[in-house]
Amino acid sequence: MTRRTRLFSTLRYLALALFAIPWVGVPVWMVIVNSMKLPGEAAALDLTLPQQWNATENYTAVFVQGNYLQALGNSLLVSLPTILAVALIGAAASWAFGRSRSKGMQIAFYVISLSMLMPPTLIPTIYLLRELQLDGTTLGYILVLIGTRMGIVVFLTTGFVRSMPEDLEAAAAIDGASRLQVFFQIILPLLSPVLFVGSVILIITVWGDFFFAQFLIPGSGRATLPLSLYSFANSSAQSLRWNLVFAHVLMTGLPLVLAFVFAQKRVIGGLTEGALKG
Amino acid sequence: MKTVLPDAPAASDRADVGGSRSTGEAGAARLSRGRRIVRSGVWFALPAIVFVGVFFVLPQLYNLRFAFSNWTTYSSNITWNGWSNFETLIGQGLLFTPIGVTIGYAVIAMVTQNVVSLALAYAMRDSTRLNGFFRSLYFLPVLLSPLAAGYIWRGLLASDGPLNDFIGIFVPGFDWSWLGETSTALAAVAFVDAWKWIGLTTLVYIAGINAVPRDALEAAVIDGATAWQSFWRITFPMLAPAFTFNVVVTLVGAFSAYDVIAATTGGGPGDSTRALNIVLRMQWGLGNFGAGSALGLTVTALVIVVAIPLVWWLRRREAKA
Repeated sequence: MTRRTRLFSTLRYLALALFAIPWVGVPVWMVIVNSMKLPGEAAALDLTLPQQWNATENYTAVFVQGNYLQALGNSLLVSLPTILAVALIGAAASWAFGRSRSKGMQIAFYVISLSMLMPPTLIPTIYLLRELQLDGTTLGYILVLIGTRMGIVVFLTTGFVRSMPEDLEAAAAIDGASRLQVFFQIILPLLSPVLFVGSVILIITVWGDFFFAQFLIPGSGRATLPLSLYSFANSSAQSLRWNLVFAHVLMTGLPLVLAFVFAQKRVIGGLTEGALKG
Repeated sequence: MKTVLPDAPAASDRADVGGSRSTGEAGAARLSRGRRIVRSGVWFALPAIVFVGVFFVLPQLYNLRFAFSNWTTYSSNITWNGWSNFETLIGQGLLFTPIGVTIGYAVIAMVTQNVVSLALAYAMRDSTRLNGFFRSLYFLPVLLSPLAAGYIWRGLLASDGPLNDFIGIFVPGFDWSWLGETSTALAAVAFVDAWKWIGLTTLVYIAGINAVPRDALEAAVIDGATAWQSFWRITFPMLAPAFTFNVVVTLVGAFSAYDVIAATTGGGPGDSTRALNIVLRMQWGLGNFGAGSALGLTVTALVIVVAIPLVWWLRRREAKA
């Protein structure tokens, strides 16, 4: 490295650090300090430390009035089955699409990939769930999520399947392995890096979903974290009580942030190593 | 991300690589039997086809009927009523203005997101330890729900919030309600949407930048190109596939704008941030299911009208580059 390039990279790091202050630092700090203030003090939205600490009361309110644990449980109950199902069903379909030469399968692949770009339609979805007697149930919500989020995983994984040589699967098939065995013992392990990236994108969108949830699982009993945050924030008739809203925002964001802290190398690595390449 | 939609299963045969040459005639025949077994696994695709067919395609078809029906809470038997849902919405100013708001939101969010992401990606392109830290740091907002992002920025942009306090250092007494004034509300909510997703788009661009061959960049440096020139002449054209993907996905995603607006302005002030999905929710609340469906169909139509020509045009640009 010459002195010039070293100077440039130092300047670059400096710029990245400076830009991170308003971009990430100030928002995070504002949420944390204000979530520990009294309502009156938090209303000023200052970045100073609390003059009077009120953290215990605020966070207790999130757990008690905000029904935090129930909402967390509901979110897990929705997200985990959805992601498992999409990854498994999507991987199986991608294998078939990646290897098939038939016209019908090509069309099916195009339609499923297109579902990635096209917005799902809500009111007819509710009509359909009513017909199936699943309206307003967690199961109905999960089924809709599976059907509408399948596109991205099938799209990513099919591209990956096409880049894999067929010989391994073919040889295993000749040796008497059934298709299910080939899928679970050869294909699924080979697809795991791209399925991981797909699952990361899925969990981010499913965990944060508010629009669909508001229509499909109304009522507090099944409320996921975003629904719980919304009704908690709007529970007072006057303006937002920032101390409580920020405490809930922090608790709502925490599960994914914690998971990310442990898996960040794989998440960032998977997303930057071009797993998104078709 | 070579393409937005990869080519469908290749019609041309790319079998008989390797295998046949080394294993001889009998082996080749056995291998191709094995390949036939592998390729005939059509029923593996069946669950995915059923799920997408029932929960995605079927509602789209229903929507074509509901949008032109008089379905409300009060009349549950759904009968055809032509364009009257659209006419009613137009009469109440609930169609064209929201279409404009939705397009404005999507364009502002898409441009902000891609410009900032490109700059960040270029700055963090080398896979050093420190850049690894920055990539994680800038990824944090992606993990938040759009609703939470909305509340955070509602605080940051409040008239007595941190942004105005900061501006107040240079302009004493500065006071502006970014989300409360018609002139800035739409740009502000669209910015929040972009802020939430920029970490992810950045990583897609980093993958694209790192796929640019080193030789080309080194040759440019030897030929005396400045960093600015080598970015615009070499890196940027080669980023075309990543660019296509990000532009289309961010633009189309923003057509479904709802969460951030619900957390910040709720559609106001006036109707300045009232996007199509906000009106859809209002109509649903009023029990006007036909009108709601008409709005849903409008969002779908918007995506088709904008996305398909855009993909076509960007792909053609890719081919030239």
